[in-house]
Amino acid sequence: MIRIEGVSKTFSGPGGPVEALRPVDLTILSGSFTSIIGPSGCGKSTLLRIVAGLETASTGRIANEGEQGRPGFVFQEPVLLPWLTARENVRFPLDTSGVPRAEGDRRTDELLAMIGLSSFAQALPRTLSGGMRQRVAIARALSYDPALLLMDEPFGALDLLTRDRLNDELMAIWTATRKTIVLVTHSVEEAAYLSDTVVVMSARPGAIKRIHTVDLERPRGERTKLDPRFHQLMADLRRDLA
Amino acid sequence: MTSGLRRALELPAALLGVALAWDLYVRLSGVPPYLLPAPGDVGRAIVDLATSGQLWTHLSFTLGNLAAGLALGAVLGMAAGLALARVPALERALGGPILFLQTAPKIALAPLFVIWFGLGATSKMVLVVSLVLFPVMIGMLVGLRGVDRRLIDLARLLQLSPWQRFRRIELPAALPELFVGLRVGAVQAVVGAILGEWMSGRQGLGYLMTFATATYKTPMLFAAVVLTALLGIAVYQAVDVAERRLLSWRA
Repeated sequence: MIRIEGVSKTFSGPGGPVEALRPVDLTILSGSFTSIIGPSGCGKSTLLRIVAGLETASTGRIANEGEQGRPGFVFQEPVLLPWLTARENVRFPLDTSGVPRAEGDRRTDELLAMIGLSSFAQALPRTLSGGMRQRVAIARALSYDPALLLMDEPFGALDLLTRDRLNDELMAIWTATRKTIVLVTHSVEEAAYLSDTVVVMSARPGAIKRIHTVDLERPRGERTKLDPRFHQLMADLRRDLA
Repeated sequence: MTSGLRRALELPAALLGVALAWDLYVRLSGVPPYLLPAPGDVGRAIVDLATSGQLWTHLSFTLGNLAAGLALGAVLGMAAGLALARVPALERALGGPILFLQTAPKIALAPLFVIWFGLGATSKMVLVVSLVLFPVMIGMLVGLRGVDRRLIDLARLLQLSPWQRFRRIELPAALPELFVGLRVGAVQAVVGAILGEWMSGRQGLGYLMTFATATYKTPMLFAAVVLTALLGIAVYQAVDVAERRLLSWRA
């Protein structure tokens, strides 16, 4: 469980301090799938980066109970090392943390198979498509088996078809591993389809506006997208965002 | 014919063309050999140098200073670039003096190095190091500054040690700019090595040139010039090969 207590962020800008995030209180249950949606500049990425330890909060604290260790993080762009092959990118976190070679090999092969890129293991990132690169980035984030997976608009730069497919793959991964996942997105559909909880934020300065609990049954699939409750939820989310 | 084979033959063919034109000019114009010897005479001068053992003595001296100076200059340049990139205060304090030194012709320091470091190999190596150090340092600094911010985020997320961050992320990312500096440095290094030998000492291809000039041994002078040019090409090619190996991941 991760308890975010009174976390805020103020950046120092050229015209004085800029309040990016009002104090936020949020509890993320272990094994849950939480999405954070909001307009651009609502501080949702900042909040995620604070949880990841990439930014320090100006006030407040984050109590991490059970999600210790390096969190998995997926950026909006894949952020792969261009001089390493897909395989070497996936195992990069293992190689840099002293995991034995054989163990690293086994884990990497499993992940490459899971993301369907076994035959592209030796390919350099520049030869892969955008969707493939983001798959490699996800596999890299999963390689060290983090209890917590943080994703910052991971599918925002992809076309709709690829995005839908990766959403289903992500849901399969979550179902199989039950990791605690926090997904920042600006897609109402993505948030409604994947999450247990959807946190809606308002902009400038960022603050939590509403928290929706999603009661759509799992496993979810194409039929979920026909469910009237799914559409009602999307309508509610859109209203909150407006 | 494959394109690789054609490329390999292009340079020798061009050189052969130049030599033929040169030979033809010498024969037709009747220019005296102490001004412009025929390519055949130059070739004989090279063979003579080789058979008398002088070639190896002078070439190895120049090559030794060059290689050691280049290696040392590159290492020091990388270290200096890293220090400037890591400590912004250092860069603010030293930015001005460095630019001053960078724009000043460092060749002008050569006589000073002779006074400071003597007539032997040391002063020549110091000159080469001083010529290599700056472009490599600038390349390293520019390269490190240009590293994608998100790769640094990745290093923090993965809790890499400072050494891992440098070795596994920053150094490979800075390599393209580093090689720009290294190319400039390699060319300068040859100039520095020869110049140092002009100034003082009794060894090296540069010394061979001044000796041949003083004694009107023009074919020997040309031989030394040709050997120096070949040395320069070899050094540049070595950097090129290293770059292509290390940066093969680029398109």
